[in-house]
Amino acid sequence: MIKSSNFVRCHTCEAVNYEYHGKGIFCRRCHSRIHQSRNISYHKTWAFLITAIILYIPANLYPILITKKFGVQTESTILGGIIHLWEVGSYPIAIIILVASVFVPLLKFIFITYLLISTKYNVKSSRIDKHKLFYITEAIGPWSMIDVFVVIILSVLIHFSGVQVFPGTGATSFALMVFFTMLSALSFDTKLIKKES
Amino acid sequence: MLTDKELDNFIICKKCDTLHRKIPLHQGGKALCSKCNTLIYHRDDKMIEKTLALVITTIISLMVAFNFTIISININGLEQSLSLLSLFSVLLEHQQYVVGVMFLFLIVLFPLMMLSSIFFALFFITIKRYGYTVRRLLILLSHLKHWNMLDIFFISLLVAMVKLFDYAKIELGIAFIAFILTLGLELTITKNINFDELWRKYENTYGDNYDKE
Ligand SMILES: [Zn+2]
Ligand SMILES: [Zn+2]
Repeated sequence: MIKSSNFVRCHTCEAVNYEYHGKGIFCRRCHSRIHQSRNISYHKTWAFLITAIILYIPANLYPILITKKFGVQTESTILGGIIHLWEVGSYPIAIIILVASVFVPLLKFIFITYLLISTKYNVKSSRIDKHKLFYITEAIGPWSMIDVFVVIILSVLIHFSGVQVFPGTGATSFALMVFFTMLSALSFDTKLIKKES
Repeated sequence: MLTDKELDNFIICKKCDTLHRKIPLHQGGKALCSKCNTLIYHRDDKMIEKTLALVITTIISLMVAFNFTIISININGLEQSLSLLSLFSVLLEHQQYVVGVMFLFLIVLFPLMMLSSIFFALFFITIKRYGYTVRRLLILLSHLKHWNMLDIFFISLLVAMVKLFDYAKIELGIAFIAFILTLGLELTITKNINFDELWRKYENTYGDNYDKE
């Protein structure tokens, strides 16, 4: 009898493999590890997620962009930058940065936390929904890098003797935060979702 | 228990995790997931040849994007231009090492590694040699796909340009066009390439000889 929950997809080569519940499996085709033991994946995901959440604090407190205009230095944080953009009327850009640097990371934190907690305590919701949620989480993650890249590009272009723009500590924290959120999503094991069905 | 060959007749949707039994397609045909409508596989008998040609073009285009001026701006007679070289020298000057290293990997090294891995994997499959390397390359590719941020860099470039629009005269460089071309080609490659198919080709071409390593 072919039952969907008896099979698992290899993330590396896409091969369909037999599922052995509660055990680590290696793919029949590419020999990559498909599942780690449940606990390792669970704790790894939490560890990366918490690191990312901690980094999110300096990413927002410290300036992401520093402007030096004839010796006078002004600093702007992510939120400060968005508010400034809104005030000068650059609404589309303000919205893009707001979504990419504030909403996307927060959504990722919430999604991954929800996935971890709901799979741990078997909160009822359809399995397909959780898979979709995970898929979205993986797909939107890297887009939060937009603001860091914009700051880098501006720092190259606005690089005159009188006026200079450059990235601040916030940019480093933010880039690392994105990195750890991505690691967290990648170490989340979709088997944790499967188990309840 | 089904054998490996029989298991190859199945495919699991990457988006919603539904198990499907594969049906034979016509040349150029596409199979969509019955639950979520995602494209799960397609048939293209010329996939390897087409992708090889695309990859070579993309690598050339990426080289142009990396080596020439992307955009230059002019503010009241003061000029400044953006190229990959000026980008790294400015990051070094401001001692942004972490951001610099991340940029180097996400924008320069990973896209290059991705394209050259595809090239060598397909080339080796075509000449039916170096099975173990092909397998390492295919595994590497599955990891690299999450870490290529060329498209995000390009969107950031557009955002930066809009920000500068009011103060500066912006001129597009040759690398800007090359970036657009590269992204378009990369998208076509991602759509064209079928890793499940490549792995099956790998198994058929090299048999079990390399599987034990
Ligand atoms: Zn595999
Ligand atoms: Zn589906």
